[in-house]
Amino acid sequence: MPKLTIDGKSIEVEKGTTLLAAAQQLGVYIPRYCYHPKLSISGNCRMCMVEVEKAPKLLTACSTEAAEGMIVSTTSDKVKAARRDVLEFLLINHPLDCPICDQAGECGLQDYYMDYSLAPSRFRMADKVRREKRRPVGPHLVLDKERCILCTRCVRFCSEVTKTSELEVMERADHSYIGLKEGKALDNGYSLNIADICPVGAFTSRDFRFKSRVWFLKKVPTVCLGCATGCLIEAHHNENIIYRLVPRPNPDTNTWLCDHGRLTYKSVQAGDRLSKGVIKNGLIDLEPALREVASRIDEARTSVAILGSPWLSIEDNAALARLAKDGVKTGSYCFDFNSEQGIKDGILINKDSAPNTSGVKAVGAAHGGIKLAELSRRITAGEIKLVLTEARAAGLIKQALKSAGTRLIVFAANRGEIPPDTYATLPYASYFETPGTFINYQGLRRRTEPPVKAPEGVKPLWAVVNKLAAYSGDSLRLESAEDALEGIELK
Amino acid sequence: MISVKKVNNKPLNLLERIYLREIARGIAVTTRHFFTNLLNPKGMPTIRYPEQTRPLPGNANLRTRHRLKMRSDGSPKCVACFMCQTACPAYCIHIEAAEYTENTVEKYPAVFDIDLSRCVMCGMCVEACPEDAIAMDTREIPGGALTREEMIMTKESLLRNLPDGSAHAQSGNARSGYDLTTPSEEEPSRKGAANRLANEYLKSRGEE
Amino acid sequence: MEFFEANKDILLFTGIAGAKILAFLGAVMGFTALMTLAERKVSSLMQDRIGPNRASVFGFSFNGLFHPIADAIKMIMKEDFVPGRAQKLLFTLAPFFALVPVLALFAVIPFGDYVMIYGYQVELQIADLPLGLFFILALSGLAIYGVFLGGWASKSNFALLGAMRGAAQMVSYEVVLGLTLVGLMMIYGTASLQDMVRAQGSLLLGFIPAWGIIYQPFAFILFMTAAIAENKRTPFDLVEGESEIIGYFMEYSSMRFAAFMFAEFIEIVLISMLAATLFFGGWQVPYLYDTGFLFPGGPALPMNHYLVAALQAGAFTAKTVFFCWFLLIVRWTLPRFRFDQLMGLCWKALLPLALLNILITGAVLTILAR
Repeated sequence: MPKLTIDGKSIEVEKGTTLLAAAQQLGVYIPRYCYHPKLSISGNCRMCMVEVEKAPKLLTACSTEAAEGMIVSTTSDKVKAARRDVLEFLLINHPLDCPICDQAGECGLQDYYMDYSLAPSRFRMADKVRREKRRPVGPHLVLDKERCILCTRCVRFCSEVTKTSELEVMERADHSYIGLKEGKALDNGYSLNIADICPVGAFTSRDFRFKSRVWFLKKVPTVCLGCATGCLIEAHHNENIIYRLVPRPNPDTNTWLCDHGRLTYKSVQAGDRLSKGVIKNGLIDLEPALREVASRIDEARTSVAILGSPWLSIEDNAALARLAKDGVKTGSYCFDFNSEQGIKDGILINKDSAPNTSGVKAVGAAHGGIKLAELSRRITAGEIKLVLTEARAAGLIKQALKSAGTRLIVFAANRGEIPPDTYATLPYASYFETPGTFINYQGLRRRTEPPVKAPEGVKPLWAVVNKLAAYSGDSLRLESAEDALEGIELK
Repeated sequence: MISVKKVNNKPLNLLERIYLREIARGIAVTTRHFFTNLLNPKGMPTIRYPEQTRPLPGNANLRTRHRLKMRSDGSPKCVACFMCQTACPAYCIHIEAAEYTENTVEKYPAVFDIDLSRCVMCGMCVEACPEDAIAMDTREIPGGALTREEMIMTKESLLRNLPDGSAHAQSGNARSGYDLTTPSEEEPSRKGAANRLANEYLKSRGEE
Repeated sequence: MEFFEANKDILLFTGIAGAKILAFLGAVMGFTALMTLAERKVSSLMQDRIGPNRASVFGFSFNGLFHPIADAIKMIMKEDFVPGRAQKLLFTLAPFFALVPVLALFAVIPFGDYVMIYGYQVELQIADLPLGLFFILALSGLAIYGVFLGGWASKSNFALLGAMRGAAQMVSYEVVLGLTLVGLMMIYGTASLQDMVRAQGSLLLGFIPAWGIIYQPFAFILFMTAAIAENKRTPFDLVEGESEIIGYFMEYSSMRFAAFMFAEFIEIVLISMLAATLFFGGWQVPYLYDTGFLFPGGPALPMNHYLVAALQAGAFTAKTVFFCWFLLIVRWTLPRFRFDQLMGLCWKALLPLALLNILITGAVLTILAR
């Protein structure tokens, strides 16, 4: 347990802790480009240099282990001069692209220049090294070699996290640049993380490209619903438009975020987003659609089947269960889904593509219901005249529905989700538009926060269900999402 | 800390306190103006703006209607960096960025609107522009309009060069203290602008 | 036919009175509408501006002549809004209380001597009341109700504040207004306005017209001050005080608001007519008599009876226009008083001076009578 002093404050750290990590524990910030807590230490950017007493030269804080009795200074004149000089070296060949660079505003070079340098350039524009710009290097990324400062975070990410090793530093010295290996493309499914960890604008997202400047974006912490992993994310939005999703690193679940999860926000802004009801492929206003669905349910009553969905939040599933039990009063309702869960690729992507399989179990435990197989049997046997469920969950009983020709009514957020031969569709507010509770594969409770507002008139699913019951003359008394949670035990 | 300023008001004398003489003097002034202007309406300094405008004095140094500068091939110098929109205190600038497909300057504004009904003519956008692409040197004072739509300048109406070349543009540069060796209006086409050197370099290396 | 023969006198009287009312009030209303334009035009000319000139019909604006019409259309088109908490009845009544007394006051103002029509002598005055002056004082006192009801019924703090100020101010200046006229009544020995005007037709020392201003110059100044204060316009516009409390009509919109504003402008015309009638000889033209001009020293210019009547009515109109203009000039020249200054001016300065004026007039009259 070495004990050392950093900027006059002493601390005792675990053996093997680096100076940078020790300083972080003390709340002393040391600037860095190549260091990343989840990647191996490279020590090539020289930005994190600190002065250690009795050491002949400045040391890189990211790669020096703390030792007993070290006296470290991060603010001495020597350190300041070193930082200024490192920045000057990095900026010599960095193009003046800030006006068109998407990184501007969250750029390491900009930030550190303002914090540690502020020195005017001593080099002429014409003498800058010119390289290839704007090269698409995969489905999601654009590479600008001029802007690169060769910190190799991207190279290490590809070799250590995804273990696909598409990227490499080519050539030597001031000729060196980051390049794709022969015959490879950056399509490993986690490539957008490189745009995040790139401290400058060398790698930028093709999806986010030129859409908005980062300083206009507002940030909302929420949860990714791409699969059962339930990664914590941050939605960046402005004026009711989501521009991108970035990971919220946490020790429990995730540091990174997969490309699939990052693009899940697109469905909210897609052209087929439903803001009206659909009856047999025809758009219809919400109220008449609701009334139509309610009258169909009234016709069938006890031969109605209600199926929950692992794509819906616990609140919305619970509202459906209440509709089955207290509204329609049918025995055929199912909140029992079983999927194999666990990380598929060793990084983040889950075997279970639905986000809330565990959460629906909790609803089933509180409200009872039949097994999915039993529901399929009843449908096939023709005991059921009408099935009410969520669009993607309808896919689970596709075969039974097809063979029996049962009337299907679904809730859907996008028109593309609606299964063929659906009788009626009601829109609901997605979880980028309304809060919802989910339980991921680890059994951790996750709550989404809405960054944007639902289209005019579109309500959360529990509210739609409440209204449906009211049209049929039953009152579920669902005033808020919390009302639906009544009786459900959540850890 | 409240600062106190003592005002040395001299007390009114008796004649002033009776008011009548002072009222008569005041009325004399206003009456004189009334009859002067009644008999000679042309002599009034007021004009019927915006139908009539007064020519600006030659040395007038002022912020007038905005314009976006063009390169010689007609493309905007603006690269849609959003600096003006960020700096604008009145939130009157609306930009939508787009990307050129050929390998030249990457970014350009697909939409560039200035809402003159919101603009406060502060010139922050001109100060903020890193490309010297927006200017307020047209010497046209934006007049009134009957609808909101008329007050919105689009990219098409903003995009123009001044007929007499760089006279005003240069005075602007001279004031800001920068030594721009090439006058703004002689900016080459975007095919050879910022990326010219990069393309030449790449050609010489045999890449691309 | 028999019926007409039997009731000839009463029918003729009613017909003539109706015609006079229609003609005179119509003229006054039209003139007031023009006053709203004149207010803006006069102020603009004083301030080296052009003033309103945009309202046009088929591209002709006639220097803004259509603005009163445009204003009227605008006022009618506006939403007639009544605040939820307002007392509906009083809120509706208030504009009428403001407008009706002012209009009724024109009944006693003589706008000419008389004309002979088919042998009938038609007085150019709607009603020659023997106590015309008291009628004026009484009805103008009633105008306070318009102000106070408006402010009270609005249930708005600012409106009520304006109304309180208005009531205090109008009651105070009413006293002065009445006292300034006592001197005139003592001199002419009558309270009928027509009699007063006729009395002003005589000559003093053989060549000076015996107008009220000659006898009572001091009372004239007091009268004008008090009248402007009664009119609630700058420099006495504490009641409205656009920059601070907006005033008793704050909650009014549409034609109800227009009624208040119109009453204010009609009052300007009324004050001008009163000033002309009481102090500047009314319809009298110096040296003009029933038969024509008769200048001091002998030269005469005989004239037709109708021409004389027209000249006299014209003289009355000209005097009225002059005072209207004068009131506008005063309104756009002087800044607003403070409220304590306003009340101090009334009770500490104008009232004692008015009483002194009566005292001196009485003393002089007594000495001359000896």
